Amino acid sequence: MAKVSPEGAEAFETDFWKDANLRKAWDDIVPGEPRKTLAYTLTKEAIELYCKSVGEDHPIYFDEAYAKTTRYGGLIAPPSIHILLMFSCTPADDWMRSPGTVNAGQSWSYNLPARPGDVIRLEARALDKFIKRERLFVVHDNVFFNQRNEVICSGRGWTIRPV
Amino acid sequence: MTTTFENLNPGDSIDGPQFAVSRESIRLFCDASLDYNPLHLDDDYMKGSFGKTNFGGIIMHGMNNFGLISRMLTDWAYPRGAIHRRLETRWVKPVRPGDTIQPTGIVKSKQVTKSSRWVLIDVMVRNQTGEKVATGEAMLEFPNE
Repeated sequence: MAKVSPEGAEAFETDFWKDANLRKAWDDIVPGEPRKTLAYTLTKEAIELYCKSVGEDHPIYFDEAYAKTTRYGGLIAPPSIHILLMFSCTPADDWMRSPGTVNAGQSWSYNLPARPGDVIRLEARALDKFIKRERLFVVHDNVFFNQRNEVICSGRGWTIRPV
Repeated sequence: MTTTFENLNPGDSIDGPQFAVSRESIRLFCDASLDYNPLHLDDDYMKGSFGKTNFGGIIMHGMNNFGLISRMLTDWAYPRGAIHRRLETRWVKPVRPGDTIQPTGIVKSKQVTKSSRWVLIDVMVRNQTGEKVATGEAMLEFPNE
């Protein structure tokens, strides 16, 4: 499978089997231990592609002149842009990419919108791991910041790890 | 009638957009989210079992549900002067190519705090046969003017 190169970003490895042996399995994940993360510049193009994938068509994401008239004063990304940020702010050996990782649920709180041009960083860790009905769970805990160190959003997710 | 915090009531409903799920829509979500987990791409891989689960074929990203619910909430909130502040979801059933899903919301309660006003909304996503595929809860803020 080919790599994709979002504008302004290094080539993103789309083959999640590659480097799979470098990723931590459930047994190796230490709750509380920080995950490696990467800074990522969010582009208008990346926002537009994300919007297209879920049918977002509100002008506040596309129309600069309109967006200037709103309380936000300019273009913003949809709150759920953290779905993209989770992968763009983590390296290829991050265990969230392990093939077979099943997402059981997530909760997110939104403080400020992300905007095109923001340089976004992530602080992330496994918060908890447990076994329930013979399934191996890990809870991940994440906070995204903009270039002014303001919190964009914070969230947590429950994943079932591949056996 | 224009919706305001004052005239919102428990039981008021919000209808979200219908969304037709296809291999192409799932692939587009891979490209947009950079989530290329083979759960969403590889039919052969999906014939196997995942511990206690067997899906039988590729499935839509759970976060595609999340994105649709979020779209419903913001499209409802922006014209009413409200702000989407929180969303919590659980995935109940897998969604597959060929399904059509639709998020909905029902106002559960309102609360006024020291400096703002809040609405709690129960959210869910159903498929074309009415089965719940995702459930959750959202919180919207109506800032004091």
